[in-house]
This record gives sequence, structure tokens and C-alpha cells, in this order.
Amino acid sequence: MPMERRGRILAILLLMGLGFALVALRLIYLQVFQRAELTARAERQQERLVKLEPKRGSIYDRMHRELAVSLDVDSIYGVPAEIDNPRAVAQRLSAILHENPRVLERRLAGDKHFVWLSRKVEPVKAEKVKALGSREIGSLLESKRFYPKKTLAGPLLGFTGMDNEGLEGLERAYDKVLHGVSGWMIAEKDAVGRTVFPGGSGFRFQQHTIPGNDIVLTIDEVIQHITEKELDAALASSHAKGGVCIVMNPDSGEVLALSVRTAAHGGQAFNPNEPQRYKPADWRNRAVTDAVEPGSIFKPILASAAIEERVVHPLERFDCSAGKIQLADRVIKDAHENGVLTFTDVIADSSNVGTIKVALRLGKERFSKYIDAFGFGRKTGVDIPGEIPGLLKDYRVWSGVSIGSIAIGQEIGVTPMQMAAAYCALANGGMLMKPYIVSEIVDHDGGEGKRFSPQPVRRVISVEACSKVNKILQRVVETGTGQRARPAGYTAAGKTGTAQKIDQKTGAYSKKEYLSSFVGFVPAVSPKLVILVMVDTPEGVVWGGSVAAPVFKAVAEQSLAYLQVAPDNEGGRMLLVTR
Amino acid sequence: MTSRVGDIGSFIFERSKRGSFRRVLIALLIIGGLILYVGGKVRIVRLGYQLETLEREKRELERANRSLRIEASSLSSPARIEEIAIKRLGMIHPPKENLVMVRRKPTPTQ
Repeated sequence: MPMERRGRILAILLLMGLGFALVALRLIYLQVFQRAELTARAERQQERLVKLEPKRGSIYDRMHRELAVSLDVDSIYGVPAEIDNPRAVAQRLSAILHENPRVLERRLAGDKHFVWLSRKVEPVKAEKVKALGSREIGSLLESKRFYPKKTLAGPLLGFTGMDNEGLEGLERAYDKVLHGVSGWMIAEKDAVGRTVFPGGSGFRFQQHTIPGNDIVLTIDEVIQHITEKELDAALASSHAKGGVCIVMNPDSGEVLALSVRTAAHGGQAFNPNEPQRYKPADWRNRAVTDAVEPGSIFKPILASAAIEERVVHPLERFDCSAGKIQLADRVIKDAHENGVLTFTDVIADSSNVGTIKVALRLGKERFSKYIDAFGFGRKTGVDIPGEIPGLLKDYRVWSGVSIGSIAIGQEIGVTPMQMAAAYCALANGGMLMKPYIVSEIVDHDGGEGKRFSPQPVRRVISVEACSKVNKILQRVVETGTGQRARPAGYTAAGKTGTAQKIDQKTGAYSKKEYLSSFVGFVPAVSPKLVILVMVDTPEGVVWGGSVAAPVFKAVAEQSLAYLQVAPDNEGGRMLLVTR
Repeated sequence: MTSRVGDIGSFIFERSKRGSFRRVLIALLIIGGLILYVGGKVRIVRLGYQLETLEREKRELERANRSLRIEASSLSSPARIEEIAIKRLGMIHPPKENLVMVRRKPTPTQ
């Protein structure tokens, strides 16, 4: 009996030992021979790679008011492999997301494990989808760009794509600054996919995100609004095809407002929140991408050159009574009858004949030198994408007509930005300043960021010559073609232009299509603002003094009041209180 | 005196009886240690879940805050303010006659 008992115990111990030995062998097999494969499988099951999108920097106006900001919103995805009835699910989602049910059904059919159904949806829609409680439909957060002021400065700001890359405007020009750097990390997850202990040992940062930097513009949203409102009103009343309005600080070259409008979409301005609704022509920034023949607003360039070179005195008289002048094979006429005019009145009354006489006296070489010095025929360097240099022929290949044509703003292509920059030089005493639109880059990563300061390009004419041109341009507003530009309470100086457009069919100057413009500065003494207004193809009355000058007046009055610039031309009617 | 030679079962039980207190103590210590270790781990995981929930709530609140700021920015656009001022409140741009220019005297230096 004791022997039997001992035998049983030994047998049990043997069996147990054998069992443990098997387990040990299995463990050795798993831990040693299959270690690599099993470790990789475990990592796949227990870890997930989390891509971290950087926060795109914001765009502010000069007073740090938001013009473009990013916000995390839901994107809706589906798991087709787990959906039994794609049609029913598609129809339910279609009612919420307002997407085509057939497209949704096509995406949900099949055995994929992930498909996007609708990206960056509105919060209300996302909440409704979440309320369905479906395990096959989920949502992920993605960053979306918002432009809270809607159409304000739309073509200037541009827009971003689905993956937050800048596609147009300042969003594109400053994409590297705004975008930041993506990061990614590996996080542990449990059986139901929850992230375990975020930030703890299970979280392995592989690369931190670097948030995008903010940019601060020179644009003032109030002045921008004023220009857009007044330009829209002018386009509506004149049934024009489009228009441009630029407001600049002549002393610094800062662009305070830049409005570009087209009559497309029933006159509705480009809204960067929904770029898919528009065509490229609607958001093109014509202030820098399009060259136009400026017409008479170019005459002050000739006047500046002639006065600087002392080939003419502002009070010298010219006989313009013939009303026309022969240049090579072309006869150029005045728009109105004129008699004998001083050079000041030649410009004030916009006489082509008088202007051409002075241009011929100046000569093409000297005239060309000043055109070049004012920055025509080359990019201004403003930080807006798509800028073109304009069109300017070398004076050595000018025809016999060219000097006269260019003096009155034909045979030359300029961008509105070039024209505004040139008038800034006339307003500030003769110094050409580089126009700029971003004043500061704010670095969130502890860096110093960057501040942009005014950049003088070159002295174009002397202060004395500039002062004389200034007086001529004041005369334009006081008694000349630009009287409707005179703002209440302020002195102003400027020049009207009514340029014939080229008829695309005939290649000749059109007798129906004009570019009406006015460029000038206020107040005339110590100017604070340079304002350029161009109205493309107005109907009915087409004169720049009638179409564009009133826009200048309205923008000047409101902007100066907003900037609290004291009126300098009260005319005795304004009460002055001295404290 | 009872002989234990040839009775291995009795030998084991005898020994177990003799050192039982020590072994139970060791076993309890090991089990206690394991419970503490596992309990700590479980607590860490629970805290991790709580932390994730709080992080999510924080993100949601930040998102709501940002969303409200965007809405405020949108509502304070100059176009909307001007429209309300003119159409709803009947305000007008002040005519020139109603403007009073106040010029500040330069402050005398001490």
C-alpha cells in the first residue's frame, strides 16, 4: 500500500513536470524563435500612429483683427466592410450631409476599412451624424480655414486647399510661414481602440508639431470695407465689368486697402470660405496680375520728368487751340476744346496736345529714364503672388508715335499697384517706396518673428520738383477734370484718366470700352493717403472724373475721418474749438 | 518513536506542517506584492482613461472657445456694424456742418 501510494505521487509529479516542461518549451519557442514576428504583430494591434497636424497661423489686419483663422471641425468617414446595407446608410447620411446619395452609396459599397464621406462639415451636421450612433460611421477632427469677415479682402487673402495648403493670395505667398510642420507619434490603444494614458509612457513622440506663425497685415479692415463698399456702389451704378481700389500710406508704402471686384456672380464678391463656387478669374488679384494702359493718369509722370529736367515751367503757356497734333502717321486729338493753356492747366484739363508738346521737348531718352525710375516695366516687389512687371518697350525701339502715346498713357502697360506706388512718390516728396502688405510675422515657437519696415527704393525726383507737381495736381481737383474728387473738409491732389481699351476683335482702340480712373492723395499738403480707383468698362458716362473721382472722394472722406485726420480745408464753415 | 523511513508522503506533510507558518507568510507577501503591483497598474490605466477624457473635454472647450471667437469676429465685421447702424438704428454719417474740431493746446513743459 505505501509503495502504491508513493508510485501514484511520483506519477503525478512526473506528469506535472512533463506539463511544465511542455509549457517551458512552448514559451522558449514563442519568446526566442518567434519573438520578432510576434512583437511586430503586438505592436500593430496595440499601437497606433497618430499624425499631428500643426495649427495654421492666423492672418490679422493692422489692428490685430482676425481675417483668417483655423478651427478643428469634424470630417465624416465610413467603414464599408462593416456595412450591410450601403443604400440605406447612404440615404440616411445624404439627408444630413446634403451629399449626393448615389456618390455616398458608391463610396460605402465594397470592403474597404476606411472611406471619407464628407470632409470638414459644419458642427450641426456632425452632431446629427454622431447622434445616429452608428459604429460604421465615425468622425475625425481636421483643421479648417475660416475667413470670419467673409468677402472682405477675399482676392487678397486667397484661400487654402483641403489639406490646409495655401493655394492663392497671401495664403499661398506666406504658406511656409503659416503652415507650420506636421508631427506624428505612436500611442498605445486598448481592445476597444481607446488611447491608453495619453502623455504617459505609452505615448512615444516621434516628431512634435511646430505651429504655423501668424502674420499681421498692413491692411486696415475698416478702410478695406470702405473701399469695397464704395467700389461696389460705383460698379453697380455704372454697370461696369470690374474695378480696383488701392489705398496706401505714401510715406511708408504700406498698403492699407486693396479691393478687387468683378461683375461676375451678379456682382457678388469672392468669398474665400467657399472658393469652389468661383472661377479663377473671380479671385485673380488684378491689382498686380493685370497690366492696363493707364491713360491720362500717366501724364503726371511726364510732368514730373519735365519739371525735374527744367524743360518746362508750370506757368509756361502752350497753344492747344488746334485740338490735335500730328505724330508720324497718327493724329492725336484732345477730348475737349482748349485754347492757350499754362502747363498747369494742360495737366488740369488733361490736354493731350499740350502734354505731347512737352514730351517732345523732353525727348524719349530722358522720358524713358524717369518712367524707369518711377518703377514702370518692373515688378514693385509687393508680397502678393502673381505680380507682373507690366509692358514697357525700350526707348531705342520706340516708334515716332511712341513718345506722344506713352506721355498720354498709351503704348504702355502698368499694373494698378505700380501706378499707386508712383503716386506715393509724388505725394511723399519724390521717394519711391516699395509697397508691402505684411508688417509682421509673429513666431509662436519662441522665436523673434520678423517685422517689416518701409523700404525706400530710390529718389525719383527732387522735393522741389515734387512740390510743383503737387500744386499742378491740386489744380486738377480744384478747377480741372477732377473736381468731383474733392473731399469735404480736405484738400486733395490727383489726376483723372479715361483710357480707351483695346478692342480684342479689331486690335484697335475701342470707342465703346474705357478704363475710367482717378489717382490722387489727401490731404494735398502732408498727404496721409494715396488712393487709386480704376473702373473697368463703365456704361453711359465714362469719364474718370465722373465715374472714379466720386469713389476717391467717398473713400477719402470716410478713411480720413476714421483715421482722425484733422480737416485742412474747412472753408470757414467748420467750428473750431481750441482747448 | 514512529519511523518515517520509506514514507515520503508523511515526510512531506510533516515538513509542511513544520514550516507552514513561514511558507504562508511568504506566499501572503508575494500575493500582497502582486496585488499592490497590479492594483497600481490598474489605477494608472484608469487614470489614463480619465486623463484622456479630460484632455478631450479640454480640446472640446478650446474648440468651442475658438469657434465663439470666430463668430464674434464675424459679427463685428465693419459691413455688419454699418448695416445695423444705418438700417436698424437710423444712424447717418455726420455732415460737415455737425463736425466740431477740437484742437488740443500743447501742454506747457514743467
